[in-house]
Amino acid sequence: MEIKPILSTLMRNKTGVFVIAAQVALTLAIVANVFYIVRDRLNEANRPSGVDEDNTFMIRVGAYRPVIDPFADSARDLAALRAIPGVIHVAEANQMPLSQSGNNSGVSAARGQQQISSSAAFYESGDSLIDALGLKLVAGRDFAAADVIEIAAGGPPPEGPYPVIVTQALIDKVFPGEQQPIGKALYLGTGPNADEMRIIGVVAALTTPWGRASWGLANAGDVSMIAPFRRGTDSPLYIVRTEPGALDGAMKAAESLLVTPGNGRVLGNNRSMNELRERRYRGDRFMVGLMGTMTGLLLVVTASGILGMASLWVNQRRKQIGVRRALGATRFDIVRYYLTENFIVTGIGIVIGIGLAFALNAVVASELGLERLPLPHLLVGVVLLWVIGQLAAYAPARRASLIAPATATRSV
Amino acid sequence: MFRYYLKLGTRSLRRNPFLTALMVLILGFGVGTSMTAFTVMHVLGGDPMPHKSARLFVPQLDNGSMEGYTPGDDPDFQLSYIDTMNLLKDARGKERTAIYGLAPTIDSGRADLPPFFEPGLATMASFFRMFEVPFRYGGAWDESAEREGAFVVVISRELSERLYGDTDPTGKQLRIDDRDYRISGVIDDWRPVPKFYRLLGTGAISPIEHVFVPFQNAIAREWRNNGWTNCSGSSREPGFAGFLKAECNWIQYWVELPDAQSVSEYRDYLGAYHAEQQKLGRMPRPANFALRDLREWLAFNEVVDADTRLQTWIAFGFLLVCLVNVIGLLLAKFTARGGEIGVRRALGATRMEIVRQYLVETVVIGAFGGMVGLGLSYFGLAIVDKYGLGEAGIARMDVSLLFATVALAVVSSVLAGLLPTWRAAQVTPAMQLKSQ
Repeated sequence: MEIKPILSTLMRNKTGVFVIAAQVALTLAIVANVFYIVRDRLNEANRPSGVDEDNTFMIRVGAYRPVIDPFADSARDLAALRAIPGVIHVAEANQMPLSQSGNNSGVSAARGQQQISSSAAFYESGDSLIDALGLKLVAGRDFAAADVIEIAAGGPPPEGPYPVIVTQALIDKVFPGEQQPIGKALYLGTGPNADEMRIIGVVAALTTPWGRASWGLANAGDVSMIAPFRRGTDSPLYIVRTEPGALDGAMKAAESLLVTPGNGRVLGNNRSMNELRERRYRGDRFMVGLMGTMTGLLLVVTASGILGMASLWVNQRRKQIGVRRALGATRFDIVRYYLTENFIVTGIGIVIGIGLAFALNAVVASELGLERLPLPHLLVGVVLLWVIGQLAAYAPARRASLIAPATATRSV
Repeated sequence: MFRYYLKLGTRSLRRNPFLTALMVLILGFGVGTSMTAFTVMHVLGGDPMPHKSARLFVPQLDNGSMEGYTPGDDPDFQLSYIDTMNLLKDARGKERTAIYGLAPTIDSGRADLPPFFEPGLATMASFFRMFEVPFRYGGAWDESAEREGAFVVVISRELSERLYGDTDPTGKQLRIDDRDYRISGVIDDWRPVPKFYRLLGTGAISPIEHVFVPFQNAIAREWRNNGWTNCSGSSREPGFAGFLKAECNWIQYWVELPDAQSVSEYRDYLGAYHAEQQKLGRMPRPANFALRDLREWLAFNEVVDADTRLQTWIAFGFLLVCLVNVIGLLLAKFTARGGEIGVRRALGATRMEIVRQYLVETVVIGAFGGMVGLGLSYFGLAIVDKYGLGEAGIARMDVSLLFATVALAVVSSVLAGLLPTWRAAQVTPAMQLKSQ
């Protein structure tokens, strides 16, 4: 390999080397970090909610006339919704996963704790959310009819102890390493007067109404619990699960059953779980698209820079190439010379770029609360830039190899 | 001489149209991307009331219990009903207003328009004065009606046109949650960005609410807050009355303080208020309160979020790469013209003349790059507005940003041209002429 002559040529053309290396370095720093952010966002936007998403929707109705007996109304609604063809399960609840609106409460592992162990999304339902959302019960049991506690409109929550179903994520956060969570006491709030709850069931997953990062729930997107409360309300929310393919029809049917002209009701939201997920992560997906586009453009610009500089060098050295060819270098030797040269220059940029990538990562980490840039991401960037560099340099290198040996005999 | 260089420059650019187009495009992409990102940050980070923002303040009080207390924590964003009523009663400052979100139902009585939910705000007549809300018809309700919890309402222009077309609806009755409200005014087009007065609950780029009802009327109707409610401790008192007595924070409070003296007086007042409440058995934590003006409030609420800042960083990183790229292309271009420079130098052009000639050429590239960048910024902003900001129609370019875009492109190209120009000026005539 003709490393030494390449190096001495490059030493005499420091500006060109600098221009290419700087582009490669900046590009690598940006690309590696963008990859990292994009992957983090996509992971989050695709994180399973524990819900049978394709077959589940929510419908909330409000009242524009005073509601006399909310319990009777919701019993009638539940019966009507259950009678819709294709509907398997219906539950009335206080909030819906990924709907971006709901309650969360602090929970403690022991009574009298001064600080909460975690924030948890507080789901309430007098029906079975396990059935209606299609959750996977991994330990214990679902609520029975006897567990349900009725709370009058505007009434205070009951004093404990009452049974709750929690997510595995809540167990992991509040009772790390606990193997036998069933029957354990959990406390709502802090201090000596915290209400006691008993864990009777654990579900594999149930995402909060906000997904991951929101309102003190950072990195606690799956810390949720369900209490068996049936609350009197004038704006009930129903969660409906259908057979595959029956969702759209059931959503329309539900709307026309619950809201009829003159029945004093107003339609709030009627949204499928897929729509809720789309709305929740629209911003993240947009950012992914924006960053992806910028990165794509960046790579094109860098490739064009490499191409331009390589072309210039070939043009400047036509005579030298002719001489080499005349002295017996094959076309392949010439191509190899230019590809090796590009490999070295890109390599200088990559070495600087790795340093820059970590510097930029420090900013990204502090702004977005992400962890350090994982090495595989950096490696992907490194390989990508080397490949792009070689591809960009190939055309000029090939053109150089076509220079006739006779060029050496002509004056430029 | 300048015109001659301009002619030389354009001619040289035309001689190699591919290279020129490449430089212009790359510069345009860099400038367009960074100006798009910058405009979004500029709009979100803007001051919605520049002439008054230093006089509008948000007081914050910490009414949390000792459990869960971490020294140094900021007080909550909102106030409890108890504190709101006390602060209103003490009536410190020039003006003050309390607000909370509503979602009442509107029944227009029209058969073709079934009742619907509408975002609303419980507030006070002072709200419209403090925030200089423009009226299309009528105006705010009067203060005496407000104290009596009268059934009056101010609606947005959008709702007014939906219900009544382009006619003046003031004086008409509007049915809200099954009661009639007299319309006292219609707000004209008003969309503060960021929506500073209610960041918590609706977000910085949301449109305004459509129904504005007197605060005391909303309380009398037992309308709960549609927004963020944060309770500490547990209250077992039932119903709405129990909710009002609980240490739940759900009301946003603004006060107008005209000068530095009134600001420091208000701070003292908050301190004294805290001490007084502690004597009454409330607010067990050590004195913890804050008084932020509008701009501080926007920063505290992180209106320009980490994503937006990061996008701007990356966009300017992209511009930097584009610049380095253009440096490379200019180097290539100018190096190839060593012969021409040699002849000019031999014929008596000084180094300064060469520098001037090539700078003019880079400025021409910059100007064209700026135009491409401008077009791309418009395109980029349209995309961001439609998909990123929910068709808010707020990410727009104004005259100053327009000039900034072109200036950025020209300055960038000149910066990119410095090194190649300097190198071009180093050409020694003798060497070039000899090799010809």
